[in-house]
Amino acid sequence: MKKRKITTFDYVLNIFFALICIAMLIPLWKVMVDSFDLRTAYGMKLWPEKFGFDGYASVFTNPTLYRPLLVSTVATVAGTFVGLTLSTLGAYVLIQKDMPGRNFFSAMLLFTMIFNGGLIPTYLVMNSLGITNTLWVVILLPGLNVFNLVLMRNFFEGIPRSLFEAASIDGCSPMATFFRIVLPLSKAALAAIGLMFAVAYWNDYTTYKIYIINSDLFNFQMKLRSIILGSDLPTATGSATENTVRNAATMVAIIPFMILYPFAQKYFVTGINLGAVKE
Amino acid sequence: MSSQVEKIDSDKIGKKPLSKRIYEHRWYYLLFSPVLLFALTFYYAPIYGLRYAFYDYKGIKEPVFVGLANFEKMFSMQGFWNAFTNTLEISLFKLFLTTFMSIIMSLLLNEIFNLKFKKISQTIVYLPHFMSWVVTASVFALIMSPSQQGLVNALLTNLGILEQGQEIYFLGSSKWWRPAYFFINIWKETGWGTIIFMATLAGISPELYEAASIDGASRFQKIKFITVPALMNTIVIVLILNLAKIMNLFESVFVMQNDAVMRQADVLQTYIYTQTFNSGALPNYGYTTAVGMVKSIVGGLLVVICNIASKKIRGRGIV
Amino acid sequence: MKTNKSSAMKKVLVLLIVLSLVLVACGPKDGGTSNTGTSTDTGSATDNGSASATDDSSSAEIEKPEKITIMVDGTLVTKANGRDAFKAEWEALTGIELEIIQPDHDAYTDNLGQVLASGDWPDVMLLNSAYYAGYAEEGVLWDMTAAYDNSELKTRVKDQALVDGLKIGGSLYGLSPSRGNGCITYIKKSWLDNVGLDVPTNYDEYLEVMDAFTNGDPDGNGINGDTYALSSAGLIGEEIPFINYLPEFYQDAFPSFYINENGQWADGFVQDNFIGALERLHDAYQAGYIDKEALTNGTSDVRNKFYEDKFGIFTYWAGTWGTNLKTNLEANGLDGELIAMEPIEEVGAYLERQAPTWVITSQAENPEAIFEYFFETMLDGGLGQKLFTYGAEGTHWSTEGGELLGVTYEDGQFHMLENMEKAGTLYTKNHIDPMMALTNFTEFDDPGILSVAEEALVSAKTFGENSRLVELVPSSDVMSQYNGDLVKLKREIVANVVLGTRTIEEEMERFEKEGGLEWSQMIVESLNAK
Repeated sequence: MKKRKITTFDYVLNIFFALICIAMLIPLWKVMVDSFDLRTAYGMKLWPEKFGFDGYASVFTNPTLYRPLLVSTVATVAGTFVGLTLSTLGAYVLIQKDMPGRNFFSAMLLFTMIFNGGLIPTYLVMNSLGITNTLWVVILLPGLNVFNLVLMRNFFEGIPRSLFEAASIDGCSPMATFFRIVLPLSKAALAAIGLMFAVAYWNDYTTYKIYIINSDLFNFQMKLRSIILGSDLPTATGSATENTVRNAATMVAIIPFMILYPFAQKYFVTGINLGAVKE
Repeated sequence: MSSQVEKIDSDKIGKKPLSKRIYEHRWYYLLFSPVLLFALTFYYAPIYGLRYAFYDYKGIKEPVFVGLANFEKMFSMQGFWNAFTNTLEISLFKLFLTTFMSIIMSLLLNEIFNLKFKKISQTIVYLPHFMSWVVTASVFALIMSPSQQGLVNALLTNLGILEQGQEIYFLGSSKWWRPAYFFINIWKETGWGTIIFMATLAGISPELYEAASIDGASRFQKIKFITVPALMNTIVIVLILNLAKIMNLFESVFVMQNDAVMRQADVLQTYIYTQTFNSGALPNYGYTTAVGMVKSIVGGLLVVICNIASKKIRGRGIV
Repeated sequence: MKTNKSSAMKKVLVLLIVLSLVLVACGPKDGGTSNTGTSTDTGSATDNGSASATDDSSSAEIEKPEKITIMVDGTLVTKANGRDAFKAEWEALTGIELEIIQPDHDAYTDNLGQVLASGDWPDVMLLNSAYYAGYAEEGVLWDMTAAYDNSELKTRVKDQALVDGLKIGGSLYGLSPSRGNGCITYIKKSWLDNVGLDVPTNYDEYLEVMDAFTNGDPDGNGINGDTYALSSAGLIGEEIPFINYLPEFYQDAFPSFYINENGQWADGFVQDNFIGALERLHDAYQAGYIDKEALTNGTSDVRNKFYEDKFGIFTYWAGTWGTNLKTNLEANGLDGELIAMEPIEEVGAYLERQAPTWVITSQAENPEAIFEYFFETMLDGGLGQKLFTYGAEGTHWSTEGGELLGVTYEDGQFHMLENMEKAGTLYTKNHIDPMMALTNFTEFDDPGILSVAEEALVSAKTFGENSRLVELVPSSDVMSQYNGDLVKLKREIVANVVLGTRTIEEEMERFEKEGGLEWSQMIVESLNAK
């Protein structure tokens, strides 16, 4: 990899991004500072006035937050798996141009993106399946995401036809082709769309709000919401650290993805997919 | 490139008998079956509920057929049309604005030479997406506060653009609400939008860039002739798919709207929300279904129109 | 490499399925608890049949039900806060199995609608006033007028007006075990002292105080004009009673439907006195007395600013918040003494809202028994009421001596226990606020009254003596059609006038032009037609 000459453009670009990063961070900084600050305050501060871990201690030692965190983790991992499976399978089938019914299936899926039966009818169907108030509904219901499926299909279409032909000449079944050719070449797509699913599942609040009544199955976002909004109840007991806990909880919701992204990023490096292709 | 190959292929393939083709593709049908099952169970089974748009249904007794009454009620209220046009204006502008910004940012991020700095920048710009709208609205209410404590106003006063005491109440002003809203959206969504574009850029062969360098292409020429065309497909798909959802705009507007800016800030979903929860009466699911149907039709029309346009201009759409 | 991937994937899949099944299995659905097999009638104080004669004629037919299903929001202790202990004690007290459906507090109304739509109705539910009126009209609720009139608890109700306020068309469909509470105006004593003024008793004095707080130096930091008099979360509220945060400006005006002197429904927004209210609000806002950001403030923003000593007059919930505000001020190093003001002359009485109401659904089998065993227990003036007010023994309160959070209690001294969710704080109550209960404790003295802080008691008492209940507004189809838009238009007008972007005349013209007047008249007619 020969070293490229560093130009003025590079310097300007770096400065530009440094500024952008600072600007992006300002609101986050406020939340972070407040999460460590034991003195409730209104206003922007550069640094906490009264530093303390109480907020985070509250979040992490609070036994009522363990379970939601666990629920969130399980649902996110399981859900991402379901989501990726459905998107990749669906996308793989939809790129088969000469399969009879392909256009029909494609239209059928797109239709679901546009028309929705509505809250109550969906609720009643879930109810009749017996999965309301269980983890199944929060894992399965958001699993079929046609938006992601179409994006995945877009990525698959970038795989050269010659590879498929070579595989079928070698006697590979569609399943084998899927596992041995399509998936390994789609690392960037899997990383990107997997990340999008993970985020969607982790942040999911509405599905829980509608379908889950059993508080043992609440996820972290629900708990977070009730911490953020609950202290306004006319019957609430306001504690002096209410603000800190609230901001700490917000930060805790952000941190997993701060850590996760660098792992997904290594798939976003240019040229990573092209190793296998000898055209 | 591959689309050209595909075209030739499908021309060459003579029409085999249908049953033979179905048999040839049997494994594909099997692979598709879970997707089909999900679609039927979770989307098509409830679709039957769309009929409630023609009923009065409070969830307590049996639905009562009322024909088009819900639609008449909807279309006769000025508030509905205001919300409708607002939704289209705000949502469309937001979609194009944030997509455009995401593209520019992806292109620029792609050009960063230092890998470590690139990764850090990428991570930082995508973090705002994870702050919930409730918290975002509260923090920005502070940042845009009409006092010296609001960063924006403080900055403007220090630069001499504003006098002290003349601070602008951004979120409370009918003139400034929408710009403020778009500004906050850019902050929140640009970085997230770069993910899908970065993934696409990862698929571009570095040999193309090397060949262009050898030919003496400048950085900007490379971007224009290699990077952007490679992204076009993804861009179009992202835009068209997002069009299907533009009528669903809710939370970001809900947390930021207030009484003074209703004319500019009321969107369809918030309109329905007020109808349902602030009217002091029981929600009528028939009415909300009817509105949902109108939303879906509009979204669907937009998708179809853009798909056709895309086919005409670029030769292919998303179906 | 690739085969490893697919078998690794399979392993992960299996693990996940197992994990999620485990979670599902471990998340016990309520109702899986064992039946309290003993169906002995408890000899304890709950049964109204014990001492005082139950004179309801149908008592002979009342069979004790095996199970009662209730649906309640976050105002009852949640699972994380010892709901199981509560349930166990209730079941021991009554000998009936209790199933509690308790959705997340924010999701309560949505879930309520869904549960009803699914057809499987609970026996008892807690409803807010709008839904109470609406469901009563739809026949969802059981008419408990007779049961109540013949009940023992009726004799112990402190203020019959509270119960009468729940009657729709002369019939009673539900009961609220406590008052709804409302907002009272608190003034920082140190601020008053610094500007040398007394607690205002009428609007002119109030103006004086506001002026001193805004243009003087009430916080004693030597700078004039860096403070303002008051703040609020919004210029007009979202729910009844709408004007609870700014009573001194609205005074006797009301932005929505009320019953006028002639006993007829009317819309307060179109009355003459509302113009006065708008003018007062406008003038005060333009003079800088009211926080400029009142329009966009959330309740926590307002509280934070109060604790930051930005303003000195705060109209907020009476009762426990009296103590909360004080504690938080002191935690910030400020003088926390607050005076819970009596209403100024022009206001007359603070508004109290309707509390959430417990109802029995029309699908419930044996509703008379449910009334007796659930409602009467909740308000029995003895152990049942204690359970609903303070919670379960050993979980929420205790009489054991010992040290807790720095305070030593003697043996036999009633005290609350540490909050399981918020370590470092104590529980204050369960479902019924002891200061606002509908009935008094009669079997024994209120055990917990001593553990309530002074400020809370004072503010609750002052409020109680100076408030009036807002009328329950029935629902009508016309209302559900137009009220959403009407409310929106009204609020927009208030905001525009106060902020000064439009004049009152312009906006009142607009109100008529855009149909507001017409909608208002139609709704009023429909209400009066009932």
